[in-house]
Amino acid sequence: MSLALGIPASTVSSALRPFGPVESARATRHHVLVDPKDLREALGAARRELKLDHFVQLATIDVGDAFELRYILTGSHRALVSVRTRLPRAAPHVASVHDLLPPAGLYERQVHDLFGVVFDGHPGLSRLVLAEDWPEGVHPLRKDFLVEAAARPGAKGGT
Amino acid sequence: MDLSNRLANWARLKSPWITMFNSGACNACDIEVIDAVTPRFDVERFGILSKGSPRHADILIVTGPVTLKQASRLRRVYEQIPEPKYVIAMGACGAQGGVFKGLYHVVGGVDKVIPVDAYVAGCPPRPDEIIDGVVACLGIMKEDLAHGGKEWRRKAPALIPLAPARRRGVAP
Repeated sequence: MSLALGIPASTVSSALRPFGPVESARATRHHVLVDPKDLREALGAARRELKLDHFVQLATIDVGDAFELRYILTGSHRALVSVRTRLPRAAPHVASVHDLLPPAGLYERQVHDLFGVVFDGHPGLSRLVLAEDWPEGVHPLRKDFLVEAAARPGAKGGT
Repeated sequence: MDLSNRLANWARLKSPWITMFNSGACNACDIEVIDAVTPRFDVERFGILSKGSPRHADILIVTGPVTLKQASRLRRVYEQIPEPKYVIAMGACGAQGGVFKGLYHVVGGVDKVIPVDAYVAGCPPRPDEIIDGVVACLGIMKEDLAHGGKEWRRKAPALIPLAPARRRGVAP
């Protein structure tokens, strides 16, 4: 028995084209770059029209002048669709999607800790992964973070 | 030494109870410890029992480097173990921090937080090396009993054969 995997590029394009340029490497890998203010609409459309009922992860990349968020979704057709958006480094704000994709709420708290991205509308954007005595406003996964700069005992004993 | 103490010491040497604590390991060491306590290597034939609570344990096996978050938890677990207690640090990370040394969330080796009695080398150590580490710990226990406590090792570092000053040939 053969199982048809993926979604045709034309289907993805017709569903997500209003939000930004869609690229499809193959039937199981698609991505779209959307404007931060269209993010919730784009994720809603992706869930409704492409049957993406499973949120895989929220990946974040520090690309220098911006933070790129990648909401990666999949479904029973096994295609991975990555909805990407870029937030300016000076003001990294974006609307929370915890109500559309409940598991994203935890990822948002993690990204808030490690990159300092603020998710507006999140009900409890409190510290999740960093230690309790970690200084406020220091985000260790930003490219300009230096281990030596984090003033804490033992920080300088490293390599 | 009265009879009850002699009996307790005899029982402890015959059947040390161990407990494991993951202070930030990558899980490889944990799997090797679990391998050691399950039937293939079967440490129970030596009387070594694995216990879920530090309050029941004689030997604490710590896997991995100590992270900032786990440091206070590790200290609390250590303080819950009744005396006499012994600590084995597992692997390259337990000794010095290993590949995680110098990261933003890592304090370093286990001995930065609690006193360590034995180190087991490897990345990860094999289960038979863990058993060897526990047996080495039993040897230290016997010496401590002969000296009447752990203090002889702390107060007189020159007695320890591999003290750093000795090894480098520097006069103490």
